[in-house]
Amino acid sequence: MKTLAALKVLVVEDEALVSMLVEDMLSDLGCVVVGPAAELEEALRLAGSADIDAALLDVNLGGRPIFPVADALKERGVPFAFASGYGEAGLSEGHKGATVLQKPFREADLRKVLESLAAQVA
Amino acid sequence: MAAGGIKGLVRAMSRAEGDEVEDLLARLGAAEEALAEEVRRSRALNRIAEAIGAGHDAETLVQTVVDGGVELTGAQFGAFFYNIVAPDGESYTLYSLSGAPRSAFEGFPMPRNTAVFAPTFKGEGVVRSDDITQDPRYGRNAPRRGMPEGHLPVRSYLAVPVITREGAVLGGLFFGHPQVGRFGARAESLMVGLAAQAAVAIESVRAREAAHAELAQRRDAEERLKFALDSGRLGSWELDVETRAYLASDICKANYGRRPDEGFTFADLVASVHPGDRDRMTAAIEDAIRHGAEYDIEYRVRAPVGETRWVHARGRAAQTADHGGARRMAGVSLDVTERKRAEERQKLLVNELNHRVKNTLVSVQSIASQTLRTTETPEAFRDAFEGRIMALSHTHDLLTQQNWEGASLREIFDFELEAFAARDRIGFDYDRDLQLSPKATVALGMAVHELATNALKYGALSVPGGEVRVVWAVESGETDESPALRLTWTERGGPPVVAPTRQGFGARLLEKGLAGELSAQVSLAYDSLGLACTMRLPIRALEP
Repeated sequence: MKTLAALKVLVVEDEALVSMLVEDMLSDLGCVVVGPAAELEEALRLAGSADIDAALLDVNLGGRPIFPVADALKERGVPFAFASGYGEAGLSEGHKGATVLQKPFREADLRKVLESLAAQVA
Repeated sequence: MAAGGIKGLVRAMSRAEGDEVEDLLARLGAAEEALAEEVRRSRALNRIAEAIGAGHDAETLVQTVVDGGVELTGAQFGAFFYNIVAPDGESYTLYSLSGAPRSAFEGFPMPRNTAVFAPTFKGEGVVRSDDITQDPRYGRNAPRRGMPEGHLPVRSYLAVPVITREGAVLGGLFFGHPQVGRFGARAESLMVGLAAQAAVAIESVRAREAAHAELAQRRDAEERLKFALDSGRLGSWELDVETRAYLASDICKANYGRRPDEGFTFADLVASVHPGDRDRMTAAIEDAIRHGAEYDIEYRVRAPVGETRWVHARGRAAQTADHGGARRMAGVSLDVTERKRAEERQKLLVNELNHRVKNTLVSVQSIASQTLRTTETPEAFRDAFEGRIMALSHTHDLLTQQNWEGASLREIFDFELEAFAARDRIGFDYDRDLQLSPKATVALGMAVHELATNALKYGALSVPGGEVRVVWAVESGETDESPALRLTWTERGGPPVVAPTRQGFGARLLEKGLAGELSAQVSLAYDSLGLACTMRLPIRALEP
């Protein structure tokens, strides 16, 4: 169990305005932002090797689904949540039931999701 | 014959004996003649009965009856008058003649319900007269009081009603002869028999004709139905509930990817339904058969070759009157693949639209949040916030105009600067315009807005005479670099600028936002000559 303070969060988001907002929110919550990654290759690299506690993933990365990144995180045991305008409907079969942060969201919504992710951190 | 021998014997007899024998012989001769006549009539009767039973149309049949009647009675002429009730309820009297040309009757009106004719047309019984002109019933009806002038001469008269077993009068058989006393009791009984035969035959011919007409009508109706089904591309099918025998039209077979000459059983039908839909389909059929439910279902079909198609099937089970379940089920089938695809496309589009709207809302949220962090007063917030929302809106207009397929770099500048006060002080220098993806369009649109707004507020465009030069070119990359767009925004003639102490929204968007979103390298140089922004944008991140 970790607190949000100094929680290292990987942000994968391809739209500048959105990732800037998420960065601000995460900073306000005391988290450390890793990324943000806007491309799949960069996201995969960070998901596989970066020092991270949790991750926030945009479902659609420039038209490419984010699920390979989610799979890599699952393998590493890094808790993550999807951020999506589609809601849960946009998730692939293998990731149904995963935590989804519906866009747009308030800072309080993000905090709640992060707290649940932090609770999963060993 | 033996009579010759007998005559010789008679000559040898006494007178009295001879007279007796003569008398016997005469009676014998008469009997022989009567026998021969009877045999002739009997043969004729057989022939006529056979002809009647041969099954012609009504007209030929009636002619056969009248001809036969004339032959059997020895009448000079005969006629059959019969009533036909047309579908509209009007009744016509038609007739067949024998022994006289049709012209012999053509000038006369149809027989009326006179005292002579009434018993026949009302089916009351036979009228037989040795001399009809002497009959008390004759000549009692005005205006003619007897046969019209020019009528065939009739003295001997025989009229027999033709009545069905149910008692309906079909018409009457009439025979005449110019001489008196021509029709005996024998002729009358023969004609009564003939009339009975004729009644049966006419009825059966009429029934057959009615059946034919109904069949033709049904065939017409079936053809109309087939035409309607064909033009609607509707297949039709029928299922025998008991035996599960299945009958499918050509179009119906085509719905399941079968040729017209291919067999298609109920088992084939069930097997061709997509496994994921099969249980639902069979359950719906059972429900229709057992409970009379409307069968109305859409399912996927796997044709023997080719892609999966969608079929819409509708039908109903015909319930028996005693509610003992259904014996057959029938319905139609329609290939609805195109509609299903359109529905799927529609669903995708709606999802995509929702996604874009949600993303745009997050963008607005982000702009509001960051503008709030970097402005000192509500008025300044409102100014900056509105400007940025309008910039976002301009980019959307541009993309909508291009069907969201992207826009060119020059178009992005033109759209963002359209209502810009110092627009004519921004100059361009480039060899070729570039087509950019929707994502790059949105990002660069906002970047152009930030640069222009900053120049107008603090930079070269804030004083008269200040200018901006926009230059771009595509650089083929170094050995380890992919081609990139190199774009510079250079301000000259303005006040000297210094780097701000706190990074504003514009600078952050350019230096960090574009860097992330478009893998760009962006540098902002603040020097005494003015601001210079240099961007290096990899082509792969810009292209549609």
